[in-house]
Order: sequence, then C-alpha cells, then structure tokens
Amino acid sequence: MIRALLRDRGFVVGAVIATGMVLVAVTAPLLAALAGQDYTTYHDTLLDSARGGVPIGAFGGVSGEHWLGVEPGTGRDLFARVVYGARVSLGVAVGATILEVLLGVGVGIAAGLGGRWADAGLSRVIDLVLSIPSLVLAISLLAIVPQDWPRPLILAVVIALLGWGGTARISRGETLSLRTRDYVAAAQVAGAPWWRVARREILPGLTAPILTYAALLLPTNMVAEAGLSFLGVGVRPPTPSWGQMLSTATTWFRADPAYVIIPGLLLFLTLLSFVLVANGLRRVLDPRQREILR
Amino acid sequence: MRRFVPIVLTATVLLAGCQGGGGGDTTTSNAAFDPATCQGGTLTVLNQGGITHLDPARLYTSGGGNLPSLLFRTLTTRNRQPGDAGTKPAPDLATDLGTPSDGAKTWTYHLRDGIQFEDGTPITAADVKYGIERSFAPELPGGAPYLRDWLAGAADYQGPYKQPDGITSIETPDDKTIVFKLSKPEGDFPFLATATQFAPVPKAKDNGVDYEKHPISSGPYQVESYEPKKSLVLVRNTHWSTKIDELRYACPDRIEVTSGLDSAVINQRIVTGAGQDANAVTTDAVVGPEQLAQLGTGSELDKRVTRGEFPSTTYLAFNTKKAPFDNPKVREALSYAINRTSVVNALGGSAVVGPSTTFLPPQKALGYQQYDWFPAGDTGAPDKAKQVLAEAGLSNLSIELAHENDDSEGIGPKVASAIQEAFKQAGVTVKLNAIDTGTYRDITGKPATQPGLSLATWGADWPSGGPFLIPIFDGRQIITAGGNFNLAQYNDPEVNAEIDAINALTDPAAAAARWGALDAKLGKLALVLPLTHEKDVYLYGKNVKNAYADGWRGQLDVGRVSVK
Repeated sequence: MIRALLRDRGFVVGAVIATGMVLVAVTAPLLAALAGQDYTTYHDTLLDSARGGVPIGAFGGVSGEHWLGVEPGTGRDLFARVVYGARVSLGVAVGATILEVLLGVGVGIAAGLGGRWADAGLSRVIDLVLSIPSLVLAISLLAIVPQDWPRPLILAVVIALLGWGGTARISRGETLSLRTRDYVAAAQVAGAPWWRVARREILPGLTAPILTYAALLLPTNMVAEAGLSFLGVGVRPPTPSWGQMLSTATTWFRADPAYVIIPGLLLFLTLLSFVLVANGLRRVLDPRQREILR
Repeated sequence: MRRFVPIVLTATVLLAGCQGGGGGDTTTSNAAFDPATCQGGTLTVLNQGGITHLDPARLYTSGGGNLPSLLFRTLTTRNRQPGDAGTKPAPDLATDLGTPSDGAKTWTYHLRDGIQFEDGTPITAADVKYGIERSFAPELPGGAPYLRDWLAGAADYQGPYKQPDGITSIETPDDKTIVFKLSKPEGDFPFLATATQFAPVPKAKDNGVDYEKHPISSGPYQVESYEPKKSLVLVRNTHWSTKIDELRYACPDRIEVTSGLDSAVINQRIVTGAGQDANAVTTDAVVGPEQLAQLGTGSELDKRVTRGEFPSTTYLAFNTKKAPFDNPKVREALSYAINRTSVVNALGGSAVVGPSTTFLPPQKALGYQQYDWFPAGDTGAPDKAKQVLAEAGLSNLSIELAHENDDSEGIGPKVASAIQEAFKQAGVTVKLNAIDTGTYRDITGKPATQPGLSLATWGADWPSGGPFLIPIFDGRQIITAGGNFNLAQYNDPEVNAEIDAINALTDPAAAAARWGALDAKLGKLALVLPLTHEKDVYLYGKNVKNAYADGWRGQLDVGRVSVK
C-alpha cells in the first residue's frame, strides 16, 4: 500500500508539505528562538508611523533579523507569528478532526449495530447536526464562552461539535453494509457481545473510508478555524493564528501586500497539501476507485 | 460628555480666501469660491455610522452637529472658522451670544427678525422653550445632561407630555425674548446653547417619538426622506435664505447621506471619485493606511484632504478605590512604563493620533498646558517603572486591563495589546479583559462593577476646559447608579471648589488658563494615564469646493462646502 501511495506524485508532494508544516508547528518555539525573535515584542522603530504604521523597507520590512518582515501597526516579528500561528491553525484543526472522528464513528456504529429504534433516533440526531448552520452557531457559542477558558481547545470542541455529522453518517452506512457480511453474522451468532463485534469486526472495515474522510476533514476544519478567527471569535490576542492575521491584513492589503500574502500563501499551501494527501489515500484505499484506475 | 458619537460631528468653513492656519495645513483648491454663486448640484455624504434618531431632543452633538446643523438652527452655534478662531460660538437664532446677569446665573437672549420654520410659520421664543422642555421627556432620551443640571428647579422635570406647565426657570416675556435662570453661575452657557436641544420645535407639529420621522426644519434644508441609520435625503427649505443666516452657505441643492458603509470602502470611493462619488464627502471615516501612503506632500490626493483636531483624549482610567490602583506608586510606575509610540501605531499612526502626556488635549481654547510629570519618553521608561515599584515594595505585579472587544471606538484589543506589551517590559503582567462594546460603558460607568483598570476616551462637548475636566474629576459627579465618568472616583472638596470658581467666569480666556492649571495639578496625582489625542484627516471628492477643517470639530462643514 505504501508503495502505491509513493507512486502517487500528488500524495508525495502533499505529504512532504504537510509534514513540513506539522514540523514547523511542533518546533515553533525552537524556530522562533533560532530567528532570535518572539511573537509579542513590539518593534516601533521598524514602522513608518506617519504612513499609518506600515513597515519600513521592502516586502513588509524583510531583513536579516526579521525573515518575513514585521506586522504593520505593531512591528511584531512575522516569522515568529507565522510559526506560532501554525500551532493554532494546525492544532485546532487536528484536535477538531480527532474529536469528530471519535464522536462520529461512535455514534455511527451505535446507530448501525443498534436496533431499529436506536438507529432511527440516532439518525435523526445526525440529520439535526448536519442541518445546523454551523458558522452562525459557532459564532454565537464562541461569543458566550468565558474568556479565561483555553481558547484553542474551545475552538476545537466547538468545530467538532458542529461537524461530526458527516463522519457519523458514513460510519453508519458502512456498518450497515458490514453487518450483513458472513463473518460479522458468525461473530454475532457465536454470542460475541456488541462491543466486541464493533471493535473486532466492524472497526477494521471502517478504517479506510474514515481515514480518507478525516484527511478531507482536516483542511475543512482549518478553514473553519481561519474563518472564525477572521470573524474575530477565534483565538485572543496576542496569540497569533493565520486566520486572524488574514483578518487584520484586510485593512493593509494595499499599503503592505506582504502581510496578506504570507499567511494567505501558507494557508493555501497547507490546505492544498492535505487535500493532496486525502486524494492519494482515497485512491489507494478505496477499492472501487482502484478498480476504475486499473 | 459621553463617548463621542461619530455621526454628529461638526465642522466649519470660512471663505477660502480668509483661511488661517489653525487646525492644520488646510489646503485650498478653490481660490475662486464665492458663497453668492456657489448654489447647485447634489452633495453625497458617505458615512460609517448613521443617525439613529433625527430628533433635536435626542441628538448628542458638539456645536450642533455637522448634518443636524443643516436642519436645526440653535440660539448660538459654532462660528465655522478654521483654527483657534473656530473654537468660539456665534449667534444663530439669537442676535448675540447672550447677556449674563446675576453673576452668570441668568442669561437673556433676543431672537432675530424674519426667522421661519419650513412651513413659513415664524419662529418664536416659545418654540425654543418648548424644544428644550421636550428634551427632558423620558420618552426622548439621548441628549447631553447639562440642562437638567444647570437650569434652576429642572432636575425632576419630566417633559411637556407629562408636565405641560413647563420649566419655570425658562421665561419668555415676549415672542422675541427668552431668559434662562440657572441654579449656579455658568460662564459657558453660550457654548451649551449650540446644542440641538436649543433648536425650536413647533408645539402644534410635535408628535412625540414620531417627530424624528420628519422634524420641522429651521435651517437651510428640510427632510425629503429619512431611514434611521441608513439614509437621509435633504432638499432646500424655501423659507430659509442667506438674509436670515450668514453662517450656513447651503451651496448644494440636494444632500444625499448614505450610512452603514465600511471606512475603507468610503475612502476608496472618495479617492476614485467615480460618478456621484466625485461630489462626495464623509463626516466620520478618517483616512486609513491605504490612503496615507498616497498622501505625500504635493500629491494629487493631498489637495483633497482636510486636517484638523477634535479635542479628544484616549486614556487609561484607574479606579483608585480598587487595589492595587489605590496606591499612587503603582499608578506612577505604570505612567513611566507606558509606550505611547506603540499605542499611536495601534490607533493608525502619527498622522491620525498624537501622543498625550496631559489629560487636556492640545487645544488652546481648552486651556492646554504642557506637562509630563512621569516622563516615559517616546517608547516608555520600564527601568524607572521597575525602580518605583521596587521602592514601593511591589514586585511581580499582576493586573487586569478592561477594554472593548472590537476596535471601532479606538479602545479595543489593538490598543490593549500594545499596553500589555509595554507593561510587560516593566515586569508587570497584564491580563486582558475584553468586554462587549455594547455593554462596556454600562460596566465601566457603574462604580459597583467598574474594573480596576480600563481604557476610556473623552471628547469635548464644546471647546472649553470645563466639559472636559468636570465629569472626570468633580467628586460630586460620581454617579453610583450608572453613567459615571469620574472613573478615578476622585473627590477632593478643594478641586470641586475650584471648578465652581472657574464656572462663574464669563471670560473664556481667563477660564482657560485656570482649567489648564487645574489639569496640571491633577496630573501630578496620576489619576488617569493619558495616552493619545485625536487628529482628523478626512478626504473629500474631486468636485468638492470650500472644504476645510474648522477649529471646533476638526473637519469640513457640510453647511459650507460646494459641489458646483
């Protein structure tokens, strides 16, 4: 399977970029220390105050000390903010995806294996979650959450709570088709309790579709975090996130284009890489797709 | 006054040829402007905030407002001149600025001849009195609180709907004379008489809360259509003429106001000037970084900008009843630690705000005196701050800073983050407490719920030291029920007595010197930490003529610009 994946050029490119981004996020303090910068210190001397606080120098004030220039209006080091921003963006997206998969698969299997009434009830719950206008609800939820709660965690939970419907529906469908298989029926006849059936017989069959779906959920959740931060209900300052940077950049896009381009480009690259990875996984893991390809 | 409401801004203009320096380097592209031949065309006004209530009783303006002043003439109004000259009131409906007697406790005004409402009815002293009485009605809240405080025996008056007998301390011996009896000497009365509450309202046409749908005009225009917060269209009032009003030129035949626009969009539209936008001005969207980059000296855009200053201060308010801010050493240390450059940058850069070490903004009319008791330099003196804290035996100080949760009023997360970083340099940990902008004033304005440290702004209701200092430092103005502005909760009988003594002065220059001295004296106590004062840089459209900043409001006057 790995060999098949490595033959997919898109997957390889995506995996390399994605790994790079994850590494950046994990080693953010180290990278910032390497650059000799942190993400909170203001550098007033690097700004042209008379022109509204745009960075002095080419491309947003890029220099040997500030590798990506500085933030307009504050003079905070952009490199440090970008690498720390990766932590929030990726961390929230990964956290939300894990929560969505846990919740979705749990509910999906319960619906698929449970009786008629359990299935009907849970399916309606899934429908409800899928039909909620998630952005609107997320904004209102985040607005009422107390400020001293850890913001990235809250973001991940809110995004996950509003986004597990898809995983659940796929899991339920797969479970319903798997439970008709002979080996599942055999296990049930042999008197295996439902939880063992779920763990030993159903879950392995779910791995491929859920893994593919999760790889697609990750960029979706990243966009959700960026969107919420862009709308001002994401992480609180001075914590940086890419979405938040894009939000402040909207007032600067003519005066200091570099400030829009950097977080925008990073977000784009990361999303692209995850989509490429997801595509590669789908091609290799999805038997129908494989047949078509051959 | 209250936090300044952006819609109601005002401005003034004089003949282009007489322009002084004053409020800034005003630019003239219209040497040939003549108020006698300027009539014609449609002026477009593009604004962020709209007028919520177009009722003269409910508007809270400085000098009568920019747009409201086109509909509502008042006893006095701002004199619409640039620079220091523009900080003085001028007679409007009245023949002069008023005659004080009984030690400035009685003010008498005479109405000029020929003044009429938009329906041709003559304006009488009774109409002016009725307009003021309406503003006391609980059904029509929103105006400035001064009249209730100043007029003798009016503190509990509930408006003409509930108490049709009216206020006895306003007398109208004949149709042309109106006399105000005050409970205490108030030398600033001619300044207060510029407020829209002094606009005449015909009792016969008053339909209470619905009056704002079509207020009866006494000015050069009347309402054609009005949608609250969104749009306002004004057309000529045929019963008005320059013979009965020398202050407003009323050049455009029609004025169309669109509100609810984004600041960046407004400025971009004015820069581009496509179609009707060539005739556009704004009264509340200060230029952003995009335009500042294009505003180099001698550039095309630089000829289409007014620069002025509205007296306004952004500051950190200490609650001296709460630890650790009850300790003067803590307040002094933070005053040393502040980095005003990063606050200026957070608010849009040195073109639109300036650093302040004094509570009074740098306008002569307010009595500004330079002082810097706790020199922090441009970027803060963290070492000095640490030293002061160490001497007081305080280390590892941790405090909370309350601010609004958006930056629209200039006291939001951007400024708070800059302050947090500056205090960090002095070893003080700041936790940010973002409060919803809609409830921010309710929480900070109630001593029971007021945080220890909060961001605040203060603007002048009129260009005088009194309305700037009294609500903030007069101990008798601590309002426990809510709506309090004395955030330091400071009450010193000596200061209160000095305030009363200055209020009794009718010579603005003498009063200004004493206000300035009082500000300098209060500054030593570090009751507030002044951060910045406002500068106003506004763009206007290609076809707009005779636009310049007045000394009162710091922006162009819609009543004087021309688009012909």
